[in-house]
Amino acid sequence: MTNMVLPAATKVHMLIGQCVPCIKQGASKFKIKRLELDSNLNMFFPKHEVVYAHDPEKICKTGDYVIIEKLPEKLTRLITHKVKEVLYPLGDVTDPITGKKVVVGSFRDHIENVSKAYGEKKTAFKYEKAPKRGWQENKKDFTHVETYIKYHEDGSNDPTAV
Amino acid sequence: MIRFRCLGINSVVPIHESCILDNIIFRNYAFKSDLKIKWNRPEKIPCYKPEKSGDLKGFPKLDKKQVLLEFRDSKELQSADENVKKLFTLEFAPKKYTNRIFYNDIVEKVKRHEYDRTSIEAKIAKWTGVIRAQQEHLDKFPRNLRLKVILKELIEKRKKHLRHLRRWDYKKFEWLIENLDIVYKPEPTESYVISRKDSLRKLTDKYCEGIKEDRLNLYKLKLESEHPAFLAEKISCLKFIRDEQIACGTEVTVTDDEINEVQKQLDDLKKKNEELNKQNENE
Repeated sequence: MTNMVLPAATKVHMLIGQCVPCIKQGASKFKIKRLELDSNLNMFFPKHEVVYAHDPEKICKTGDYVIIEKLPEKLTRLITHKVKEVLYPLGDVTDPITGKKVVVGSFRDHIENVSKAYGEKKTAFKYEKAPKRGWQENKKDFTHVETYIKYHEDGSNDPTAV
Repeated sequence: MIRFRCLGINSVVPIHESCILDNIIFRNYAFKSDLKIKWNRPEKIPCYKPEKSGDLKGFPKLDKKQVLLEFRDSKELQSADENVKKLFTLEFAPKKYTNRIFYNDIVEKVKRHEYDRTSIEAKIAKWTGVIRAQQEHLDKFPRNLRLKVILKELIEKRKKHLRHLRRWDYKKFEWLIENLDIVYKPEPTESYVISRKDSLRKLTDKYCEGIKEDRLNLYKLKLESEHPAFLAEKISCLKFIRDEQIACGTEVTVTDDEINEVQKQLDDLKKKNEELNKQNENE
């Protein structure tokens, strides 16, 4: 039982949320994690709320951390916020101190230098030539949609059915 | 006559007349829904099959006249007799040597440098090779349960590493799944066991949603067809009100701009309809 109840996330002016799959056009869905104090245990527990934000150009991709701002008026029954800025795009990590791109524990430059020292292959992956994220959507990457367990055989080949 | 009865929040079931007695609806063990929904249980696909693992390509047909991987650079073999050379080809070697060449080829496609065996792309490529080779083997010998377990674990391991790679380096992840021809689908949001009752509920919900959508679309079309007539009537009404207000000498609340705006709306709508008609005729 919690004694301290958080105010609803939708009442806060600005929020940071993680983008989750959403099929709505012109809007993105966000999961907002906030910590709620359980005064009995004197511990904080995460609590998730879902907010829809206006995003006509669909700049947010699934997994991105985004700043969203409250709209002065609701656009629809669900859309209460608008997207302000993409803070942390998924899978494109930048080191805040040096400003260099990072993959897990090492800089991309370092990885490339190691490959060059051994003699880089022409077929190897190159960041400069790589297209923008999202070129495999609906082809081989289905992380932008929610999947479900297939419960009915109707002959159609639905890629979201697992 | 079919009557609908609401069961719970979202489900609607039509009821036979025999179930309605003096406006009391009852359900018994022989209760049957009258909706034309037929549920087909999806066939269970074994976990090791390419449909589940996401492999779009299988084990390719390799040239059997290739020299074994270990003897490719051998100078002695190059100067050897034709029959000896033949003995060192895939034709006379066990299947594992064909597999080895396939693993080597698939890793070759993605590795960073000549000696790269430990980068994540090289590892995933090698596991993909093993998975494809063993899938083919398991199709021939489906009772090899030990291999089935190994293969399931390997598929799951590859999926886990792809999941991590996606979070660490999205561009590389996309490049890799394109190069290796793997489809990546995230875990389903809801986990459930397929049952007849639950599936029928879902299908009924879907059916009801379809009806709702169809009716809304029809209503929308109807309103759109009435729109020009409504605007014409609006113009005449506004004009009448304005004339009356001027005649009675009261405050004039309807301006000319207002009437012109509605007229403009009507003209635009007519133009749009004409264009649409032309397009339809052309098609």
